[in-house]
Amino acid sequence: MYGRKGYQLVKDFASGEKGHLKPFNSKLFDETIEECDQNHHLIQSLIRKMQQEGLDVQNNRNADHYGALIHHLSLIRNKRCLMAYVYNRVEIVRDLAWRVGLELLDLPSEIQEKLTTLEKEYFKNHSVAIKSYMGKVGMELNVDMVPPKDPYIKVRIVDDIDEGIVMGDKTTNFARHSMHFLKRTDAEPYIARGQMEELTG
Amino acid sequence: MAKYYDIDDILTEEEFVPVFFHKPANGVTIDPSAETNCVEQGAKVELPFWLAHELHLRQAVSINLPACFDQKTRLEIQADAPSVDLRSRCQYFYEFGCKLQPLVTDRTIGILLSTAFKIRYKETLTKVYTAAHITASKFLPLLTKEETNLYEAAHLSMTAFKKWRIGGPRFQRASILGRKRKESN
Repeated sequence: MYGRKGYQLVKDFASGEKGHLKPFNSKLFDETIEECDQNHHLIQSLIRKMQQEGLDVQNNRNADHYGALIHHLSLIRNKRCLMAYVYNRVEIVRDLAWRVGLELLDLPSEIQEKLTTLEKEYFKNHSVAIKSYMGKVGMELNVDMVPPKDPYIKVRIVDDIDEGIVMGDKTTNFARHSMHFLKRTDAEPYIARGQMEELTG
Repeated sequence: MAKYYDIDDILTEEEFVPVFFHKPANGVTIDPSAETNCVEQGAKVELPFWLAHELHLRQAVSINLPACFDQKTRLEIQADAPSVDLRSRCQYFYEFGCKLQPLVTDRTIGILLSTAFKIRYKETLTKVYTAAHITASKFLPLLTKEETNLYEAAHLSMTAFKKWRIGGPRFQRASILGRKRKESN
């Protein structure tokens, strides 16, 4: 009661590592909404009681008024916790779109498991918005996240990548642990996803 | 309200404060010492700060200083500020004190916060740049959340600088994906 569930929800979010998602805690989320409903019921019963006593609800400041006020404030507090929970998760999802890739299927499966259907929808719509903006501006905005030094870099393949990806003008076969000399812009998305690593020196 | 969605702000406002009720309230089970589900006028209850703040604005309660700002803490801070375990008293010591300051009659909170912060911040920065990880791990559990954020920011800038000096792979796996797990073949 009185904002406890909302607090637990926010604490659950804060207990994860900063910038990392935990699976969506729908159980706590629903419990918080239930608590809001309880508060709402109690407010209505207290207001009805005041009306039955024939008091002016707006201006009379008796004990029932303060009781209803406390329930109202708890409801607003739970609402704030729910909104903050969703907002902060969605911020991380937006970050994912910029840093890792614009396609939902490019995300590793453990991240996809942690998102709800609504968050996946948001991701898709956000990617579409980014792509249309990049099209209008005429530039690719999600490359060169690190200021470039060389146009080409040496990479080693770490994870299995699908066969036959077309890069430049030839199809290369990316076997594991093989080393390649690629254009930086081509290799960047794979490095961000952890499928390749940069070799220096 | 720029901090509406801010998680740290929400957690700061959850801290409990003792309040004194000026008006009675019906139908609420906040007061654990009351037999019925209402709060008597003149009752002393511990409420979370967000509730106490709103009720104070409507002049239904008056707020007293919570335990983390009492005389014992003040004396400890005066004696040796960097070794006081502020995290166990109150995880958001400074933010909470800043919010409390306009609402309580005590005028010395501001000075207390700024002196404690100045001394501890200096210690924090020295530890980041000089101490090995082992000594730092004894010091870190004493820091509040705000100080821990500063510590980590300084640590990040230190590692970035060292990396720049040595030179190394600049493209990184996106940190959002978590740590790399060892592949099982």
